[in-house]
Amino acid sequence: MARGNREVLAKLEQIVGPDYVSNEEAVLLPYSWDLTWADPRLPDYVVMPKTVTEIQRVLRLANHMRIPVIPYVNATNIGGLCVPEEGGIVMDLKRMDKIIKIDPETCYAIIEPGVSHAQLSAALKATNPQWEGYEFSKGFEFGWGVHPASASVLAMAINHGIGHLNGRLGINSQLISSMEVVLPTAEVVKLGSCAFSDSWHSFLPLPRMDGLFLGWMGTTGIVTKLGIWIFPIRPYKDVLTIAAETAYDMTRYMVHWRHYSLCDEVTAVSWWLAQIPIPYPYQEKPKDTPEWFSYTVISGWSEEELEYKRKMWKKVVAEEKARGTKLIDFEYPPEAKRGRTELPSRIIGSTKNYSKSCGGGLAWPGTFAPCKSWPILYEKWKEIYIRHNLSPAVRFTDFQGAHYGMLRLMTPFDKRNPESVKAARDAMVECIRAGIPLGMLPYKPPVEYMNELNAAADAGYVYLMTKIKDMLDPNNIMNPGKLGIR
Amino acid sequence: MALVLKNTDLKELAQLYDRISMCTQCGNCKYGYEYGSTENFAAMICPQGDKYQFEAYRGSKGKAALAKGLLSGMIQWSEKTTHVIYTCIGCGACVEMCETDIKDYLLRIFEALKGEAWKFNMGIPEGVKKWSSTIGVNKNPYMEKHEDRLNWLPASVRDSLPKKAEYIYFAGCTASYRQKNIALATFKLLQKLKIDFTVTPDEWCCASPLLRTGQYNIAKEFIEHNRELPEKYGASGFITTCAGCYRTLSIDYVKDPPEGYADKFGKMEGVKVIHTIQLVEDMINKGEIEFEGTFNNIVTYHDPCHLGRHAEVYESPRNVLKAIPGLKLVEMYRNRKFSFCCGAGGGVRGGFPDYSVETSMKRVKEAETTGASIITCVCPFCWRNLNDAIDALKSKMQMLDIVEILEPIVKRK
Repeated sequence: MARGNREVLAKLEQIVGPDYVSNEEAVLLPYSWDLTWADPRLPDYVVMPKTVTEIQRVLRLANHMRIPVIPYVNATNIGGLCVPEEGGIVMDLKRMDKIIKIDPETCYAIIEPGVSHAQLSAALKATNPQWEGYEFSKGFEFGWGVHPASASVLAMAINHGIGHLNGRLGINSQLISSMEVVLPTAEVVKLGSCAFSDSWHSFLPLPRMDGLFLGWMGTTGIVTKLGIWIFPIRPYKDVLTIAAETAYDMTRYMVHWRHYSLCDEVTAVSWWLAQIPIPYPYQEKPKDTPEWFSYTVISGWSEEELEYKRKMWKKVVAEEKARGTKLIDFEYPPEAKRGRTELPSRIIGSTKNYSKSCGGGLAWPGTFAPCKSWPILYEKWKEIYIRHNLSPAVRFTDFQGAHYGMLRLMTPFDKRNPESVKAARDAMVECIRAGIPLGMLPYKPPVEYMNELNAAADAGYVYLMTKIKDMLDPNNIMNPGKLGIR
Repeated sequence: MALVLKNTDLKELAQLYDRISMCTQCGNCKYGYEYGSTENFAAMICPQGDKYQFEAYRGSKGKAALAKGLLSGMIQWSEKTTHVIYTCIGCGACVEMCETDIKDYLLRIFEALKGEAWKFNMGIPEGVKKWSSTIGVNKNPYMEKHEDRLNWLPASVRDSLPKKAEYIYFAGCTASYRQKNIALATFKLLQKLKIDFTVTPDEWCCASPLLRTGQYNIAKEFIEHNRELPEKYGASGFITTCAGCYRTLSIDYVKDPPEGYADKFGKMEGVKVIHTIQLVEDMINKGEIEFEGTFNNIVTYHDPCHLGRHAEVYESPRNVLKAIPGLKLVEMYRNRKFSFCCGAGGGVRGGFPDYSVETSMKRVKEAETTGASIITCVCPFCWRNLNDAIDALKSKMQMLDIVEILEPIVKRK
């Protein structure tokens, strides 16, 4: 069965060629949903442009015909960001999959939207940090996240995705150095150093106009090239693990440990998230088991450096135990260690931990929150989730310092069962509502979370966001409905 | 909106909905990937996705989505639905990447989807319809007469085949009617190795093409017929040179779901199924084979999907190749579980010949990058498709089955 109309289809075919556009439901269906509880909505067309010029032509057509355009690569955002709220054209960017440049001296790469984590990591591992031909070490890395290796590096970075280096370097949108964007009205702009020369190394000291496209979920333009900083792979790595009785104990340990800025990552998961699969529906935790488990990844250029970090970590643990923090020793299985140190990982990058036999649903309240709020919110979220018969599978991750970190709650549910979908949605929205007053902000937010955010936001914030959106996208064609303001 | 099961008319598919629903649509299946500390494998391994690119065609995600959409009534069957389903080669590359519990059922789900397509009769490729309409009579998908099945053998040999033997050499349709070179080389090899075997004019198609295209009702008769052959010939098992026959005889005839079809057709019990390459490997290991000559060539091995990913036989062919004096084995980047399909299976060669050879051309081009002069494999169907690609590309590479390499230079000790 076909959707849309023949006139638009014919024009899209002229732009990208008949092999790369479809309005057939059988082709459109996978673009109508993602892992989450977002209601499936079919687009009317899907196009797969190969060039910036083709993107411009599609956008001109969309403006002329007032058709929504939804940028898409892999749709693994767990926020329903690519679900077409109002139909329209899904612009699948995976044919634009070139790694345009890896600069091993200035340490940045330029990538197109379709470049996957798998593809980039293989290319970076094969490139050595160097200066004037002299190689310092083997291979580069970027912040590899916990998602399928087929996911887009660009989409993840511009939507504030996290990576395995976030304890050391911050989240991935902090590692962007330049970008090229096609505006909703089809003009091409370059931002950062690439606007002035062929060097894509930095946004600074220019005004940060890149902020107009970071975290906007494809509502303000299509990023077609991205400069990202890349980092030499440190050859020595280890994973140190400790458990805790409560979220308060775990937070106290994490805050103390990351004070020294010695780790690449420090993360803790509740007992429910440590299970494979996450228990669904809710199951009580065995009484003799700790409630929290954490790992921290340390890296270095020598065994001595690693040993120093181990010593410091042991000192932190000993000090915390001495002052009454209930920490319990435990060992990570070797395969899990491998999954944390040989990244991007196929194991943690999968959904097997999350959605083994529950009807395929997976979503989260994924948020950035001040560390002080973690244990308070955990207790609130736990109460909400148990009330909805869901497991409080919570994760804390520190982001580069004392300022904030990730607080999120992985939630499997049964997509076949309307009551299960509703319970998951209700529980998650309630968690967001409970968290916002405590400083918590959802990332890659579904529409329901945006509505909660807008309701709590300073009026001036919403005013400016609306004004920027209207200025950049006067016909409101870019991923409409996602910001909750139009 | 929940994806409630509504369309129970799609019986084969509806039975699998519990498993289908486990696909989270994560997309892990869309790209081949393995991690490592100093390097990692990363490449496109889904030939269908590589060709058609849209999400529906890429990995198992698209097909699972279609199954959900059809069962929940979100979409209705169309010619495009059939196109998406029938351009899947069933190579199993996506299965290697899947991390959820739908994993083991994916191939069964694809075949069930293909089966449901027959009810709607919309868009089933003419090439598939054609052989399907005559296979019941001819007992092969090549539309050749059944009585010509053993014409690959000289008449004198044909007339003096043993009526009883320890093994039945199950040549399969492709080697019997098209790649007779492989059937004949296998026959001579088995003779040189002094294997007690026979070949039977009673051999029918193993039913692989029928199962792979969801034609369960026709497949039944073939499976029931073939599994009686060992008893009839006093044999303890089948030897086959065909990866497709091997998968079908050793898995579909024998195992319960999700791997096999014993739930539909019953179980073949007490019958050994051996691929020729496993037999040779075993004899080499026991010191029963002697090489009389050398094979001084650089060779790259193509893993047939039905032997590799489907049956997890990866090392036997390589071990045999490594044992051949003078032969240098070099690997393509995509090998073993991450091998790239030749493009022939799942009804694709008959249904979409251009796409099929386009796929094998990609594989031959990859083989050319290794520096090898010969592509070898252990499947007549792969042999045929890859050889067509060599011709189409005017490549200097040569196609040889491992049996063809072995036969002239081995003898039993």
